[in-house]
Amino acid sequence: MTLEEKLKILADSAKYDASCSSSGSVRTNNKGVGNAAYSGICHSFASDGRCISLLKILLTNCCIFDCKYCPNRSSNNIKRAIFSPEEICDITINFYRRNYIEGLFLSSGIIKNPDYTMELLIKTIKMLREKYKFNGYIHCKAIPGSSKKLIKELGLLVDRLSANIELPTNEGLKLLAPNKDSNNVTSIMSYVKENKSKNFVNAGQSTQMIIGATNETDLDILNKSNHLYKEYELKRVFYSAYIPINKDKLLPSLITPPLKRENRLYQADWLLRFYGFKVEDLLDSKNPNFNILIDPKANWALKHLNEFPKEINESSYFDLLKVPGIGIKSAKRIIACRKNFKINFNDLKKMGVVLKRARYFITCNGKYFINESYFKKQFIEANLILEENNTNNLKKEQLSLFHE
Amino acid sequence: MNNQKIYLYDGTFKQLLNLIKVLIQMKIKPLNIQDKNKYIPNLIDETVEIDLSKELSYNCLTPQIQKAIYYVYLSEEKNKELIIFYFILNTLKYNNKIFYMRNLNCVDKTLKTAKQVGNEFHKLKGFLRFQELNGHILYAKISPSNNILDLLSKHFSLRLPKEKWIIYDEGRNLYSIYNTHKYYIVTSNEFSLKEIIKSENEDNVKKMWLSFFNTIGIKERTNRRCQINFMPKKYWKYIIEMSDEYKKSN
Repeated sequence: MTLEEKLKILADSAKYDASCSSSGSVRTNNKGVGNAAYSGICHSFASDGRCISLLKILLTNCCIFDCKYCPNRSSNNIKRAIFSPEEICDITINFYRRNYIEGLFLSSGIIKNPDYTMELLIKTIKMLREKYKFNGYIHCKAIPGSSKKLIKELGLLVDRLSANIELPTNEGLKLLAPNKDSNNVTSIMSYVKENKSKNFVNAGQSTQMIIGATNETDLDILNKSNHLYKEYELKRVFYSAYIPINKDKLLPSLITPPLKRENRLYQADWLLRFYGFKVEDLLDSKNPNFNILIDPKANWALKHLNEFPKEINESSYFDLLKVPGIGIKSAKRIIACRKNFKINFNDLKKMGVVLKRARYFITCNGKYFINESYFKKQFIEANLILEENNTNNLKKEQLSLFHE
Repeated sequence: MNNQKIYLYDGTFKQLLNLIKVLIQMKIKPLNIQDKNKYIPNLIDETVEIDLSKELSYNCLTPQIQKAIYYVYLSEEKNKELIIFYFILNTLKYNNKIFYMRNLNCVDKTLKTAKQVGNEFHKLKGFLRFQELNGHILYAKISPSNNILDLLSKHFSLRLPKEKWIIYDEGRNLYSIYNTHKYYIVTSNEFSLKEIIKSENEDNVKKMWLSFFNTIGIKERTNRRCQINFMPKKYWKYIIEMSDEYKKSN
């Protein structure tokens, strides 16, 4: 097997992991190859529109586990391959020097046992750091069930360490990944949280959940994320719309992956982490799933229309954040600017506010953007839905023109 | 006092700052400042060249303000010199608070232009592609809208300090040459690459990258619109996985 064929097999087996970020770490160059930029850098974008930042590969796609949803499950009859540590180091350095990538994202199927697999990962990354003097970004998966000593050793070599929770509930995990024990995943998370430092998993940890493989509601999923963020101080929870790779009577027979649902979950995830929203603000047992037509923040605003319109020149930071079309940057700008002058609608545009959404929910110096009699739920809701669909259609049209 | 004169400087950032300082001291509000290398003389204009050899210092330019005006200077914005002049003039009054005076046109224009330059710089940190030439020299071609060769050179001198590399801005005919210690930016009169001989390994590595690129996208999630939004077409020429050369061969 040529090295190129191996790369194809082991990238193909790794591609379903949603994480691509290379941010959150600072590495100044120590006379070797590479450094890390705090903001992260995207080097390319794949045909699915996802950013390519890291060389995302598996060390091997051989696996003793038989998780139902996974392309690499032991019962699948697929081509298997294994990289040697030298091969991984060579490809990483060759790609990095040419500025194709920001670093390496290494994961692996489980061969023999978790500790043996971890030792191989450590050997590879140690070689890359020490012999090849690679000082760029490395994200590595910790293998659930491996010993603390090995997790510590790996954590000292990488920028980000992660363990995938895989499914939103333990019942789901038991059903679809009978070899996996969720306690093994959470014990890695606790260990990383307790030991995180400048030299140990500098960029923090993340995890991933598959959406739509089992029958959880969005409320279940969001509660799980919320718990993970609070309990283990995760940097990110990634949501990965379930793609039917394997046929199994335990798996749903979806035709298309639930991408819109995934999108709504990411939007809600942001609201929880940065906008001061709580899970119960967004969903409850009566409405346990997100509205597909309208984003979670606008949905919340429409339900709480009695708290609007917010006056731009007076509302608090967190009140401004509740306005659809106002983000963190623009809310901060509004607070800083209004100390110096009275803000009007025109100024808001300059501050990065998405006025075509925000205008329904605000006043500037007491003025609404049109006659105040239009401040009604039906009117606003219809316009917001129309607007979201228009943007999508317009982009499609532009694209087709582009191709001709 | 406004006047119709055209004030000339030598095109360098340093001289532009000196000129602005002198104009402010003389209480002159210029309507036209131009790089004398780009200016074409005619019979109507009245041009002025002030002696700017003396180093002048500002005490009002915080690092944040300096960065903003340097980025504007690197842009191809028409009248960028005037934008910088009025921005600096206002910093005398507002200091760092200037960033929150977005209702002033010169502030809005400065921040927008600086942001645009910063965005392009950030994009090219990722999209720039080196190829390896004989003798382990890395070589990249770019053609950015803004003059960001200096910013990129700084970035790569920190990232690849032990490599020899050359970045060529094809549109501006400028080379940045890094010799493992320092980079120099020179014009094509002073330096040119006569022929480009790829290293033995180059085609093989490129092929591996293209294989990886084609494999990593998930078929069921194909979204070309999103790909194009993030990776604008104007950069494709130099991104091997998006270039015509590669597409033809497939």
